[in-house]
Amino acid sequence: MKLSALKCGQKGRITKMDGAGPLKRRLMDMGVLVGEEVKMEKVAPLGDPLEVTIKSYKLSLRKKEADGILVEVVA
Amino acid sequence: MSTSANSTSQVHAVHAHGKIKKQITIAVAGNPNSGKSTLINAIAGTRLHVGNWAGVTVGKKSAFFEYEGTSITIADLPGTYSLSPYSQEEIIARDYLVHEKPDVIIDVVDATNLERNLYLTTQIMELGIPVVLALNIYDEAENKGFKIDFAKMAGILGIKVVRTIATRKTGLDDLMRAAIACAENPAAHAPKRLNYGGDIEASAKILEDHLRQDHPSVAAAMPPRWLALKLMEGDTHVLEKTGLDESGLLGKTLRHLRAAHGEDIESIMADARYAQAAGLTREVLKKPDIRKLELTEKIDKIALNRFLGIPIFLAAMWLVFKLAFDVSAPFSDWIDGVRSGPLTRWAGVLLNALHAPAWLGSLAIDGVLSGAGFVLVFVPVISLIMFLITFLEGSGYMARAAFVMDRLMHSIGLHGKSFIPMLLGFGCNVPAIYATRVLESERDKKLTAFLIPLMSCGARLPVYVVFIGTFFAANSGTALWSMYVLGIVIAILIGLLLKATMFKKEAPVFIMELPPYRMPTGRDLMIHTWQKTKHFVVKAGTVILAMSVLVWFLLNIPWGVQNKKDSLMGRMGQDAAPVLEPAGFGNWQAASSLMAGVMAKEIVVGTMAEIYAPKKEEKKDAPSFAEDLKGIGTSFIQAVKEAGSNVFGGLGIKSLSSSESPEEKAGHAPLRHALLGAFTPLQAYAFMAFVLLYWPCLITAIAMKQEFGSWKIYGQAVLIHSALAWTVAVLIFQGGKFLGLG
Ligand SMILES: Nc1nc2c(ncn2[C@@H]2O[C@H](COP(=O)(O)OP(=O)(O)OP(=O)(O)O)[C@@H](O)[C@H]2O)c(=O)[nH]1
Ligand SMILES: [Mg+2]
Repeated sequence: MKLSALKCGQKGRITKMDGAGPLKRRLMDMGVLVGEEVKMEKVAPLGDPLEVTIKSYKLSLRKKEADGILVEVVA
Repeated sequence: MSTSANSTSQVHAVHAHGKIKKQITIAVAGNPNSGKSTLINAIAGTRLHVGNWAGVTVGKKSAFFEYEGTSITIADLPGTYSLSPYSQEEIIARDYLVHEKPDVIIDVVDATNLERNLYLTTQIMELGIPVVLALNIYDEAENKGFKIDFAKMAGILGIKVVRTIATRKTGLDDLMRAAIACAENPAAHAPKRLNYGGDIEASAKILEDHLRQDHPSVAAAMPPRWLALKLMEGDTHVLEKTGLDESGLLGKTLRHLRAAHGEDIESIMADARYAQAAGLTREVLKKPDIRKLELTEKIDKIALNRFLGIPIFLAAMWLVFKLAFDVSAPFSDWIDGVRSGPLTRWAGVLLNALHAPAWLGSLAIDGVLSGAGFVLVFVPVISLIMFLITFLEGSGYMARAAFVMDRLMHSIGLHGKSFIPMLLGFGCNVPAIYATRVLESERDKKLTAFLIPLMSCGARLPVYVVFIGTFFAANSGTALWSMYVLGIVIAILIGLLLKATMFKKEAPVFIMELPPYRMPTGRDLMIHTWQKTKHFVVKAGTVILAMSVLVWFLLNIPWGVQNKKDSLMGRMGQDAAPVLEPAGFGNWQAASSLMAGVMAKEIVVGTMAEIYAPKKEEKKDAPSFAEDLKGIGTSFIQAVKEAGSNVFGGLGIKSLSSSESPEEKAGHAPLRHALLGAFTPLQAYAFMAFVLLYWPCLITAIAMKQEFGSWKIYGQAVLIHSALAWTVAVLIFQGGKFLGLG
C-alpha cells in the first residue's frame, strides 16, 4: 500500500520507492530507503502535507511524494 | 574578527613580528540545523544567522580569527544531507570542500540524530582531508538519556570526536585543538576507509586504477576513491567536471554492477552508506529502554492538531501583529511628535539665528526633517517584527506554520513558508520583504515578494480613514474590510496568473524536517534584530532623505510659485491626469498626490491636504527649550506606559481600527470638505482601490533591492502593480457607473 494510506499512529516498512532523479535521491539521502520503518504521525489540518517519523526524526512531505513510496504495515 | 567571502586554502607560514605564524583553513560542514553557524559564532565571535529550521545558511561565509598563535580562516557552509549536488546549497558546500581543499573539515553532527548525520560523515571522510567530528547538541542527547561511546566512535572512524554544546560554548577548546593538530599533520589523521562490501569495493577498485592510469591529471586533482564512488552513483556533475563519460571501462563496470543487483546504483550506494551509518550507530549509541513522550511531541499534539492547528496558527500570527504594532505604535507616535514639535521648532530657531533664507528653512523642515521622520517612524515596528520573527524562527514554530499552511499556499504555486511574510505584509510591507528570507528557493522568494505589496499595509490606512470617513461613514467597517479583502482576492488571482506565466517552473517539492522546539538564545535574538534594524536605518535613511528633498523641490519649482498647481509637481499632475480619467479621478490634485505617495503611501493624504486646503500659519506661544526637553521626556514615558497597556489591555489590532483621534478629525475637516466637492463616493472608492494597489512604496523598493541584489524585481513589481491598480480602478468606476452607482 501507499505510505500516504497509513493511518495516524500506524507503522509501515518501505517496500518500494518509485520515481527517479533528484526527488528520490533527496529522500534516500534523508534516510527514506527500502526496508526502513516509518510511522505516520500526523496529517496537516487541511489534509496535506503529512508528518512521519523515520530514523527517529520528524519528516514532513506532501501526499503526492508519499504516494510514490510503498509500504507494508507492521504490527 | 570579520566575515568576508574570501578564503585562503593552503597551510603556509608567514613571518609576523619575527615569529613564524601558522595559517590554516577550516571548513565547517554537516547536516542542516546541526548547529554549524552557532558553533562558528561561539568560536570566532561572528554574527552568522542562526535559526531552528533546516536551511538557514544558504551561502558560504568565512571568518578570520586567531587561536593560540594560529591564524584561522573558518568557513560556514550550507547544511547538506549528502554530498550529491542536487540543490544550490549542496553544490556550494560540495564545491567548496572538493575544490578549495580546506586543511581540515569540522563535521558537525547532531548527537540526537546520529544515523542520518553519520551518512554524510561517510561521504566527507572520502574527500582525502582530515576530519574532526563535533558531536554537537550533546545536551539534548543527554536529556533524552542517550549514552554515546564517543571514544569507540573515534576508533572505528579513525577521526577525532569531540563533544560540543555550541549554545553553551562547551567543548570548543578541545575542538579547536583537535582541528589544529589535524591540519598540522594531515598524514597522521587520515580518516579510515569504510568498507562498502564486495561488489562495490571491487568496482571501485577497478575504477580507481583506471582513473590513476588513464586520467592521471583528474586523479591528482581529486581523491580517486571519492571520484570512483561518485561515478558509480551516476553523479553527472562529476562527469562534467572531469570530462569523463560512460563509454569504455567506466560503462562496463557500471553495467556489471547493475546486472548484479537489478537496482539502480544510486540506491545501492545509499543503502551501503546507510548500512555503515546504522552499524556504527548500533555500536556506539545506547538509548534508554523506555521512551518518554517528549515535550516537542506534546506541543505538536496540540499545535498541529487537525482542528486546533489552524486556529492556533492564526492566533500566533495575531499575537505577532498585536505585539508588533501595539507596542511600537506609541513609540512611532512619540518619534513623530518629537520631529514635528520640538525638533521642527528648534530647527526654526536655529535657522532664524543664522539668518537663513526662507526657502532654506522650508527645505530643511518640510524636506529633510519630515523625510527623515518618515524613516524613523518605521524603526520601532521594524525592529519589533524582526525580533518576533527571529523568536519564531529560533523556537522551531516556523517549520510548523509552513506545515499547517502549505496546502493553501500550494494552490497558488507557493510553499507553505510563504504565508509568514505575506501575513506580516498587513502590518508593513517592508519587514515582510525581509521575511521572504525564510524561503529557500529564489523563485518562491520572488513570487512572494510580488504578492506582498497587495497586502494592505498600515501606511494605506490614513488614506482609507480620510476617504471612508468622508464618503462611507455609515458603513465604515465594511468599507475598510472590503479594502483588505480586495487585496487578498487580487493576490490570489495574481498568484495564479504569475504561476502560469512568469513562474512556470514547477514549485519546489515540500520535503522538510520538523526540528524539536528550542528556546532561542538571547544573543541570537539581539544580534539579528539589531542588524536588520541598522541596515534599514542606514539604507532607507539615505534614499528617503534624497526623495523628500526632491518632492520638496518639485512642489516649489519654479521658484516662488504661489499656487501648487503651477509647481512642477502640479504640472506633472496635470499631464498625468488624463491617464486616470477612465478611473474617475482624472484631476491634477489626485494625480500629484499619487505621485508624491510613491515615496510612502501616507504621503498621499499629506499632499492632498497641502493642495486642497493649505494650512494657515497659526501662531501659538512657542514653548521654551527646557519645556520642550521636558515634553520629550514625559511623552516618552507616556509612550512606554501606553505600549505596556496595549499589550495587556484592549483587544483588536490598534493600527487596523478605523478610529481617528479628535484632533486628527479636526485637522482633516477642511480636507474633507474639499474632497466632498471633488469626488463622488464611487470615484472615492476607485481612488482607494488605486492607492491600495499602485506602485509599492520606495521603502519597499529598498528592501527588495537588499534582498534580491538588484532593482529589477522592483521594476517588474512597479509595472505589474501599476497596471493592476489602473485596471481595477477603471473596472470599479466604469462598472459602478454601468450599474448606476455613479
Ligand atoms: N540545545 C542545543 N541547541 C543547539 C546547539 N547548537 C545549536 N543549537 C540550536 O540549533 C539550531 C540550529 O542552529 P544553526 O547554527 O542555525 O544550525 P546550522 O547547522 O547552521 O543550520 P543550517 O544553516 O540550516 O544548515 C538553533 O536553534 C540553535 O540554537 C547545542 O549545542 N545545543
Ligand atoms: Mg547555518
